[in-house]
Amino acid sequence: MSRLAPEPEPGEPEAGSVATESEPPAETPAPSPRHAEIVATLAEALGDGFIEHHYSAREAWVRVTPGSWRETGRVCKERLGLTYLCFVSAIDWKQAPDLGAEKLWDPEAEPTEDRGDGPGRWVTGLAGGETRFQVFARVADVIGHVGLFLKTDAGDEDPRAESWVPLFRGADWHERETWEMYGVEFDGHPGLRHLYLPGEFEGFPLRKDFPLLAREVKPWPGLVNVEGLPGEDEPTESGDVGEE
Amino acid sequence: MSVSERQRAAYVAAQAADVRVHFEIEAEGMTLNIGPQHPATHGTLRVIVRLDGEQVVWADPVAGYMHRGYEKLCEVRDYAQVTTLINRIDWLGSFCNEVPFILAAEELMGIEAPPRAQYIRTVLFEMGRVANLTLFLGDMAAQVGALTPVFYAFRDREYVLNLIEAATGGRFHPNFDRIGGLKDDLPKGWIDEAHLVMRKIRRFCDEIDELLIGNRIFEERCRGIGVIPADVALEYGLSGANLRASGIDYDIRRDEASPLAWKDAEFKVWTHPDGDSFARYWVRQQEVREATRIVEQLLDGLPSGPIRAKTPARIRVPKGETWVHTENPLGEMGYYVVSDGSPGGPFRCKIRTPSFSNVSIVPWVLQGVYVPDVITILASLYFILGDIDR
Amino acid sequence: MGLVEKGVLSKPALKPLTWLLNYSRKYSLWMFQWGLACCAIEMGASLASPRYDVMRLGVIPFPASPRQADLICVSGTVTDKMAPAVKRLYEQMPDPKYVISMGSCANCGGPYWDSYSVTKGVDQIIPVDVYVPGCPPRPEALLEAIVILQAKIRDEDMADRWTRGEPVGTRA
Repeated sequence: MSRLAPEPEPGEPEAGSVATESEPPAETPAPSPRHAEIVATLAEALGDGFIEHHYSAREAWVRVTPGSWRETGRVCKERLGLTYLCFVSAIDWKQAPDLGAEKLWDPEAEPTEDRGDGPGRWVTGLAGGETRFQVFARVADVIGHVGLFLKTDAGDEDPRAESWVPLFRGADWHERETWEMYGVEFDGHPGLRHLYLPGEFEGFPLRKDFPLLAREVKPWPGLVNVEGLPGEDEPTESGDVGEE
Repeated sequence: MSVSERQRAAYVAAQAADVRVHFEIEAEGMTLNIGPQHPATHGTLRVIVRLDGEQVVWADPVAGYMHRGYEKLCEVRDYAQVTTLINRIDWLGSFCNEVPFILAAEELMGIEAPPRAQYIRTVLFEMGRVANLTLFLGDMAAQVGALTPVFYAFRDREYVLNLIEAATGGRFHPNFDRIGGLKDDLPKGWIDEAHLVMRKIRRFCDEIDELLIGNRIFEERCRGIGVIPADVALEYGLSGANLRASGIDYDIRRDEASPLAWKDAEFKVWTHPDGDSFARYWVRQQEVREATRIVEQLLDGLPSGPIRAKTPARIRVPKGETWVHTENPLGEMGYYVVSDGSPGGPFRCKIRTPSFSNVSIVPWVLQGVYVPDVITILASLYFILGDIDR
Repeated sequence: MGLVEKGVLSKPALKPLTWLLNYSRKYSLWMFQWGLACCAIEMGASLASPRYDVMRLGVIPFPASPRQADLICVSGTVTDKMAPAVKRLYEQMPDPKYVISMGSCANCGGPYWDSYSVTKGVDQIIPVDVYVPGCPPRPEALLEAIVILQAKIRDEDMADRWTRGEPVGTRA
């Protein structure tokens, strides 16, 4: 969806977005005039870097191209007064291969099942997205009480993004954590190293295909076939955890 | 050797030893490892500092000794189980952790909790703040060297924990919030008891005034130590009392609309222009007093009604993303909840914790300070390890 | 104690000596508080708060270093990053030493049983004498654990302990 295109009529799906069942038909207005002004300034400053925006009742989201991620941060900090860095993190939009262990462990099962999504078919969230990994951040103006969410696509296989450390010194730790959990490489970061995990840890834990081994071996106890209580005939079927 | 020859040899050797000592030794600085098990680091935080004599030239906090993988665990648990788990992030004011998450889930589902539930949530939230910050008031005093206030803090904290236990069943980790309201209503006699306890807490704050604020030793140890200017604080994402102690007037309770009942209470937001450790301590002490007043006002005006809105038996949160943040005792805590509409838990739950940002400033603020002041600064920034490491 | 190891003193003759030793040891435990997480606050409440005073049981809370401690109370989640420190700390303590595992995280991993970075129970690293269930256990539960531990010490056989063949106070 191009920036500031005429709003679609109520009932018409927004062009270019992934159709989902609960997509609101009409565009919500900006939560406040300041939000609208911020989005307009970003659109004008970034030009082609600005992809789309989204409003909810209280917040605003803006998605930008990966190449203008640092420029976005600079505009926010220097021109828009959004000087408070709330956080920088990432989202992995791949559908999890049943991490919740609703299944019992099956040694013959495929390790990673296809849930119907993949490159070009990701189901993403507000303000859209084209790749599996997205880096998102929140900056705020604490004097004017306004915040903004910024999203950018990071890639499918080896996610990368530009580092915000030259702008916000606090982004150092946030980007280290994002790298550690998702494997997102930040260009321009002084030194990406482990923040939480021990040095010998292998893998990126928050990726959806990183299994929780304890759950693979031992399913959630609520699903185990138990004996019926005295007086009942049948043991409860596994999977009926909702009836208990 | 004759005696005189021995004496002469000894004299020469002594002179040579003297020369060695007075010779300028160009030695490398010492690397000091504070933690991870150290009585002064509020938990398992390891700070590696490199010293030049008595001054710090480089500091690096190593976190992760309490990393339990919250964000991953939240993805595999459903909303009620996540509520139980997130109590344990900021484990001193535990109820405060549940509230933003439940508010986010309610916002996604479009459920509004009844007014009585919102009032009681706010009351318990402020009690969690009192429980959290009274421990800070005692603990920072202990780090600085005053050993008496910590016992007063534990004693007076027990009254607040009694109250929370009477209402929720757990001294901390109440696990009391539910989507749509609270689990139960307040027990009989709780409100009168709460008024008494809030008066006791205010008396504790006055005791702290007598013991510490204005105490010459405390002032010498804390004034001017660890000054954080406002723009640096904003870049690092400092929040809560740390930000207010640097002069920025920002309090989410007053400044942003929330379903909770802060708008119905009158309270003052305290700031301090100095930005040093004393300012941080002082601002938190005033916050405790304000919290007691908020509790009393809200309990006086408690509306009647149901305690929980009608919610479906199986919680199924529709697709969406939302962000809810509140003014927790440690700072600004927020949950970014992404739901994909499937039954079960959140698709992604990003937990923005205040101590993470508070500790990220440690390498910057420890430059050039003396070793005893390192402890004072760490104590005044006030982090909780569960909050940093999640 | 070479007499014991060499078997010069017969076992029944040792009984009063053992009783005396155990009696004096169980009422003078010096407890090192390895407080990691939320349970540390409950442990702190039982140690430092006048309401659940632990000193009335003879347990003194704050030794200056693990080398002076008899009892260690592991309270809170043990992560894989912290585990080597726990092991090193345990090895620094001189014999006879006792371990209380406080809270479900230290017992078995607790609410984080499926986490990728949590050690599922401190007994995977060090031997534990008393487990205190709860999340967090009340301070009274910790006091009960100390009483149980004292009963266990009372029934200990010193001769067994010295002739078991285990290294005493050395690095394992």
